[in-house]
Amino acid sequence: MLALTLLSWWYRPGWAKVGRDGGRQLQALAASFSVAMLLRTLFAPWRRIISYPGAGMGAHLRAAVDNAISRLVGFVVRIFVLLFAVVMLVVTAVLTGLELVAWPLLPPAAIILIIWGLV
Amino acid sequence: MAAALDLHTSRARQARAGRAIGKTGAGLLTILAVLLVAGGIALIVLHHHYGISLLGLGLLVYMPAAWWQRQLKELPVTGSSFNDRLAVGVLTRLKPKTTYTPRTLWQALTADWQVIFLCNHLLIPGQLVAEVLGDDAAALPAALNAAEQLAADTSSQAIEPYHIAAGLLLSSPAIHELLSKAKLGDNDVRAVAGWLARGLAAMRRERPRFGGIARDWTSGFTPRLERFGHNLSQEIERHSLNFGSLAESQPVQAVTGAFRQGATALALIGPDGIGKTSAAYALAQNLLAEDRDPTLKHQQVIGLDASAIISVARHPGELEYIVSSLLNEAVHAGNVVLFIDDAHLFLSGGTGAFDASQLLLPALQSRAIRIVLALAPAEYQQLKSFNASLAGLITPIMLKEPDEATTLEILADNAAGLETHSHCLIAYEALKEAYRLSQRYDQDAANPGKAIRLLEQSLSHADNGLVNAASVQAAIEQATGVKASSAAPAEADQLLHLEDEIHQRMINQSRAVSVVSNALRRARAGVASPNRPIGSFLFLGPTGVGKTELAKSIAAVYFGDEARLIRLDMSEYQRPEDVARLLSSGQGETSSLILQVRQQPFSVVLLDEIEKAHPNILNLLLQLLDEGQLTDSQGRATSFKDAIVITTSNAGADTIRQKIEQGAQLEDFEQQFTDELINSGQFKPELLNRFDEIVLFRPLKPDELAQVVRLMLAEVNQNLAKQNIAVELTDAAINKIVEQGNDPRLGARPMRRAIQRLVEDTVAQKILAGAANPGDKITLDAPDLSS
Repeated sequence: MLALTLLSWWYRPGWAKVGRDGGRQLQALAASFSVAMLLRTLFAPWRRIISYPGAGMGAHLRAAVDNAISRLVGFVVRIFVLLFAVVMLVVTAVLTGLELVAWPLLPPAAIILIIWGLV
Repeated sequence: MAAALDLHTSRARQARAGRAIGKTGAGLLTILAVLLVAGGIALIVLHHHYGISLLGLGLLVYMPAAWWQRQLKELPVTGSSFNDRLAVGVLTRLKPKTTYTPRTLWQALTADWQVIFLCNHLLIPGQLVAEVLGDDAAALPAALNAAEQLAADTSSQAIEPYHIAAGLLLSSPAIHELLSKAKLGDNDVRAVAGWLARGLAAMRRERPRFGGIARDWTSGFTPRLERFGHNLSQEIERHSLNFGSLAESQPVQAVTGAFRQGATALALIGPDGIGKTSAAYALAQNLLAEDRDPTLKHQQVIGLDASAIISVARHPGELEYIVSSLLNEAVHAGNVVLFIDDAHLFLSGGTGAFDASQLLLPALQSRAIRIVLALAPAEYQQLKSFNASLAGLITPIMLKEPDEATTLEILADNAAGLETHSHCLIAYEALKEAYRLSQRYDQDAANPGKAIRLLEQSLSHADNGLVNAASVQAAIEQATGVKASSAAPAEADQLLHLEDEIHQRMINQSRAVSVVSNALRRARAGVASPNRPIGSFLFLGPTGVGKTELAKSIAAVYFGDEARLIRLDMSEYQRPEDVARLLSSGQGETSSLILQVRQQPFSVVLLDEIEKAHPNILNLLLQLLDEGQLTDSQGRATSFKDAIVITTSNAGADTIRQKIEQGAQLEDFEQQFTDELINSGQFKPELLNRFDEIVLFRPLKPDELAQVVRLMLAEVNQNLAKQNIAVELTDAAINKIVEQGNDPRLGARPMRRAIQRLVEDTVAQKILAGAANPGDKITLDAPDLSS
């Protein structure tokens, strides 16, 4: 009876849950790497430098130069993070796909393999 | 349709299978599966045919482990019927072959932590409930229906053990009686169930994610804001704080909405304790999760502590530099909303404050910064009067005090944190008492803040780790001196013999003492209305018969200190403009009745010679006696509900004296006398009707005056005790003092001077002449008294 309950879960809610969990993982990965934001701010400065009131012309100029350099730094850091995020997303997507394909095959495969080994 | 337990469903079987496998079992199965698969592969590589079977076996073993991990661990609700919604905690505790009755169902669930929580916080022993619940199986459907209804009320998809337990409590008339004895009702059971539901939701909530790794990479560095401010958004993320219901509340939604519509400066306006800081946290939470306005998304709310900044600066110039640097950082960071608590310290030039309005004004006018100020209503009014241009740029959001039910929910949610830190259990009755007492005795702050403060203070009065109503009463008694708890046996005895206590201090006037004592007993036993003063009396009678002495005695006996007497001579309040003086709440106004009562709410208020007060003041007295409160010149109410109000008058004193001299008793002409006072226009009937009692004092007889002399002599002896000298008077000496100290018009009042002149002067001469030494007892006869 319990085995039947397991099997009925395996081929209906269980299989769907594998897909849902995979999708959730992909979403979480994309959110953790803030992929959308990385793309939107690819050329934005890497943390803005602020000059304080009364700091004089020199400090303002220095802040402007620093900000320009920080755009370059920002681009390099973001592009590397984006590349890493894409790799992670692809790997997760492939693994989820494989699990989705393998899932319904697992119970018959287990039985067939046991019998095959004994024969 | 009546709900019925079915423990043979697929869901019930899965729940039992999940319990049988358990976390450890699932872990072991996974390890075994990995070992079998690895072993199988190894054997295949080594050309052993059994390796294939081992591999298959590994896959087979993995299946229940995956089942537990993805399904059985939490067993989500899949259907809408009663049995499809039963939580794992219920299904795993019930046996499929048992027929349950209310009692056996309770016993089966009583070990569940949720049921223990319910019993502990309601202070009802689980064992006692089991004894009271019957074995009538026909009563079970009603309990299960109540449980299902409660699950709907607490917005819970699953029917948890506490729903069933509360359903059993709510549906049993016998339990109802048990709860009534513990001063609890159905609503209290539902409230504790709601408390538990919110706690469970918080425990099960997934940790929210607000943006990823690159979220703050484009915002500017804010070193000064990090030094002088605290990041509310960061606190919410790091500690997984949740201001769920507050974030959804109308004022916080109004703030979020105003920002969406382009407002840049907002003020949260409300009294101390109403939750302005919590509203700022809730705003921070809303902004972290904002998905409608991209310019608001991931904005960080940074709180500035005005007093901390002011205390750091060594001179005004430095303070100005710090404030402008902070504003500059916030503007350039691009992701900062400033929250300034106690903003009035930045917007006024008073003592301990700094006027930063000239720095704020251009920043707000250019709309370059988003800012939220926390202000009390009076502070906002002050800002409008003194800096209209700045006030015009600020959108005010008024915070309203939550109602009782909401305050209790907030209190319960806070109590959960307090329990964790203090390792105490806070009973639900303590929350109700904290609300009730803070509402009654703390006029200066608003809820929920004042009730939370009182609950925190109650922790130090926990009894064996339990905070109950008595703990809260003890906390407020310690903080304010009020008698909030029920009378203890010793105090009850004192109350029952109040007349004896008062008569130790004053002679006769038995009727007056008796009516006052009755009123005090009514108040202390909780019989009297809590919305009026403890007692209100009009004392009528000639001068020097003990009216003031009785007021002092009440202060000493009931409030424990004669100094708890607020005395005002109403002959000083005869002009219309004197009303303002009486109600003034300005600092240093020593004669203000309002200020004195606010400082000392638990006192006897003695208004002497009330008939001489201006009619407007008598109208105020009507409000005071009716509503138990007066409102000051700034519109703030001051409670007189813990005071005893005594007014005195000499009106009709001659009539009383004449009647008594003619041999009449007070009781014989009391009513007639009161009617005469009304008919003569000395008092309005609506005023006289509002007093609890009108008490007539009669002139003292010579033998009573002799007793007054003895009381006064006791005071003299008290003073001489330091020198170890005692004085006693013969009867003749006492008669002489009475003779010289008695004045029919002034009663016993001249007696004090007679004692000074005849006794104290004589004793002083003896001490100075060396005729009285330590250890001596001086006996004075009539001829010895210097006249």
